[in-house]
Amino acid sequence: MKTINVTINGTRYEETVPVRMLLVDFIRERLALTGTHVGCTYEGVCGACTIHLDGEAVKSCMLLAVQADGHEITTVEGLAKGGELSALQRAFRQHHGLQCGFCTPGILMNMTEFLVHNPTPTDDEIRQGLIGNLCRCTGYVHIVTSVRAAADELARTGGA
Amino acid sequence: MATNTKDDTKAWMGARLERKEDLRLITGQGRYLGDVVLPGMLYAVFVRSEYAHAKIVSIDASEALALPGVVAVYKGEDLMGKVKSMRQPVLLPNLPAKFPEYWALAVGTAKFHGEPVAVVVARDKYVAVDAAELVAVEYEELPVVIDPEAALADGSTLVHPDSGTNEIFGMTFTGGATEEEQKKNEAEVEAIFAGADVVVKHRFRVHRTGVTPMEPRGCLCDWSDADGLTAWITTQRPHIDRLGLADILEIPAQQVRVIAPRDQGGGFGVKAPFFRENVVVAFAARELGRPVRWVESRYESLMNVGQERDQINVCEVAASKDGKLLALRNRGIADNGTGQTGVYWGFVMPFLGAVEMPNGYTWGKGDIKLRVATTNKACLTPSRAFGHFPTRFAVERSIDMVAHRLGMEPSDLRRKNIVPQLPYTSVTGEYYDSGNFLKVWDNLMTHIDLPAFRREQAAARAQGRYLGIGFACGVELSGVASELLVPMENQPGYGAASVRLDPRGKVHVYGGDAPGGQGHETTVAQVVAATFGIAPTDTVVTTGDTGTTPFGAGTIGARAGSYFVSAVHKACQELKKKITRILAHDLALEAEEEDFEFANGQVTLIRDRSQTKTFREIVERIIMAPVNLPEGEVGGLDATAFFEALKPMICFNADFCVVEVNADSGEFKILRWVSSEDVGNVINPMIVDGQMHGAIVQGLSNAMFEQFIYDERGQQLTADFERYKLATAADVPDLQITYASTPCPHTPLGTRGIGEGRPSSVSGALSNAVCDALAPFGIEITELPLRPDAVWRQIQAAKAAR
Repeated sequence: MKTINVTINGTRYEETVPVRMLLVDFIRERLALTGTHVGCTYEGVCGACTIHLDGEAVKSCMLLAVQADGHEITTVEGLAKGGELSALQRAFRQHHGLQCGFCTPGILMNMTEFLVHNPTPTDDEIRQGLIGNLCRCTGYVHIVTSVRAAADELARTGGA
Repeated sequence: MATNTKDDTKAWMGARLERKEDLRLITGQGRYLGDVVLPGMLYAVFVRSEYAHAKIVSIDASEALALPGVVAVYKGEDLMGKVKSMRQPVLLPNLPAKFPEYWALAVGTAKFHGEPVAVVVARDKYVAVDAAELVAVEYEELPVVIDPEAALADGSTLVHPDSGTNEIFGMTFTGGATEEEQKKNEAEVEAIFAGADVVVKHRFRVHRTGVTPMEPRGCLCDWSDADGLTAWITTQRPHIDRLGLADILEIPAQQVRVIAPRDQGGGFGVKAPFFRENVVVAFAARELGRPVRWVESRYESLMNVGQERDQINVCEVAASKDGKLLALRNRGIADNGTGQTGVYWGFVMPFLGAVEMPNGYTWGKGDIKLRVATTNKACLTPSRAFGHFPTRFAVERSIDMVAHRLGMEPSDLRRKNIVPQLPYTSVTGEYYDSGNFLKVWDNLMTHIDLPAFRREQAAARAQGRYLGIGFACGVELSGVASELLVPMENQPGYGAASVRLDPRGKVHVYGGDAPGGQGHETTVAQVVAATFGIAPTDTVVTTGDTGTTPFGAGTIGARAGSYFVSAVHKACQELKKKITRILAHDLALEAEEEDFEFANGQVTLIRDRSQTKTFREIVERIIMAPVNLPEGEVGGLDATAFFEALKPMICFNADFCVVEVNADSGEFKILRWVSSEDVGNVINPMIVDGQMHGAIVQGLSNAMFEQFIYDERGQQLTADFERYKLATAADVPDLQITYASTPCPHTPLGTRGIGEGRPSSVSGALSNAVCDALAPFGIEITELPLRPDAVWRQIQAAKAAR
């Protein structure tokens, strides 16, 4: 067991956890932030568990909770600020970028970071950027549309 | 862009409305099975067979039980006398088959790699996983049979010795019901083949692949001695799960409640069968008097479910020299796996695959037979394009081969043979109710200038570049009528919905099906909004809870757009009639339902618009103030309706794609994908587009990437996403979906159910395009998956044969 200090979506947590506990289980089961999902056998392939660790998109099934000690995490629950959806969230809703929604939190987290580094992506770049997220419902078409729409929106509004 | 606050009620049908589901799903507030937690909940982890076929000599759980936190370990024998076998009548199709008897945990013998042989229940998830590894199972390996043709040969190892054969099911689909009629038909078809100008015959092999919802299976069972079992299950058919659990666990049916979580991470057929694991978890909860949850790992999922297709079809087509398709003959063999899955038993999928084989073409005659073999592999589970992904591949490829032989454009040959007028009954007896196939086809062809493409293709070839175009079409079920579902799955086909109005003028809809991402909450709210003239935000939809919903056969076979919304509409109409009867009485008017308009939250007399009340006022009056009613009326506004069309219904689609193949490496790229669809009247076009995108890409992923592989000992080698590769966004093209719809005359709103069978035409179109590109090499693709290495080998073989 080890005591860790983590800030998640702006809230500080001090929790004692087994050393082997995966970060995704810590987030989902200890803190009941169940928007982060598990879709593969902790192999880092499906991407449904993607979160931000100090602003960087990472797969939370590939990390131990103790590795997050002293770090800042954002999960899908933290994307909307003050009750306002982010441009990417709005775009996914407007363009039907999700069906069952199971992979969606991971995609939102990954693509939020993606758009920071590449605010004017081509469709091919968006598709390449999505390689780490599997989706079974949408055929990715509306996901690409949504990400592009969010990029356009952010360009219009100067980011927000 | 429409929003949920739009007040133009007439426009709700056909509006690109943002989904009601989405707000919770994009903010992390969805509630999936794995998010449901009960106080004192225990965790179940299964111990699964390491062998494809083995005698279970002993199971020693002492080390596991010694681990702190472990509550119980159960093995097959522990269930005996406490639960019945899985072979219960409610789970048996009304088709003649050799249904194997089996128990929720393997008893005596394990029959496939991954079969559950024991379960560990612990207070902590990590401890449960540790303990499962400590359960010592001693096996004695038995000979395996993993090839379906070998399984059907005399002297084969038997998967189920009690059956006396590995042929779990066999059927002739053409000619008539009696053997004599079938023999006569066979002879007539043989005569057609003997006299035909062109005959093509090939053996088509489609691999084991299927669908993998991003959320695997799971269940959470809660037991109370007073109230019985409450089970949250990832399921497409909670009402059948309820009956199966009641019968197997011998619990009075009124004491079993099954709840499909409001949010499910996809289903695509995989969550439609009745599964043994749920019985084990319910049993454990009852034994322990504690809630028990099992969340399937991806490894378990890939070992056990999502495996389908896996057929050999020896397909023959006879045609005249002017390109008329004269006869279709097929001898199919399907690899069933063990058959240990309730409702489907594996063979129901290839059964429907044979029924649907003729597709949208007017074959003069057909002679179609199927044999289904049990093997030591996981049982087939339904996967979108249920059973007919392989038969479509065989037919669509064969048609191109006929065209090549005749020197005709494959698209011309198809148009010549597409069913010109509906209704139509196929050579296997499948009823095609309505639509206009040629309109769909002709719409598709407006998106390609074929002569220009042929010129471009020739010019490219001259430069050593290989372009090709491929076509295919698909007749798909729009819901599954009782006429088919009663024999096939022992279940009714009707749609059922309860519509309950509340005193605030809000609407609650209850449906017994259980969606997993198809947008039922939105589509149903649009239908209700259009009927009552209110906003979609005023409707709440509850699905999947057997405690509150009328019986539904499940979210299967594209039932929502055909059966479910029709039942919702019917229930709304009943309520509308009552509202107008009472309103006319209150206004002291002679008026019928059609004299009133429901729009913008008002109910208004059309001939005198001053006579109007708000929807809420009149609804509240009927529910809360049931006085001074017309004679014979009582208060309350609640209606349950069942909808069933008289005949089965279908939808139709056609695809083309353009590919470029690198003849040096065998790699190919899809340059364009265009579809044409008859989806009937559309409720929400955005959702319909999304269904098509997902289905086509599932078809591509199946055709190009995914493959379950078993080695010669029956070891499953592809139980993670590294080895079972799904298409990523970078692997697949953008898609152009176009429509040429005909309203369905058999549903009240003219809608069709769509999306389920839709992947089936994809592999044919793709393979045809690759063959067209490589026509200079004379390559014919007859096997899937279609991967660069296979294409490269064919190119090499063709070069060597020159």
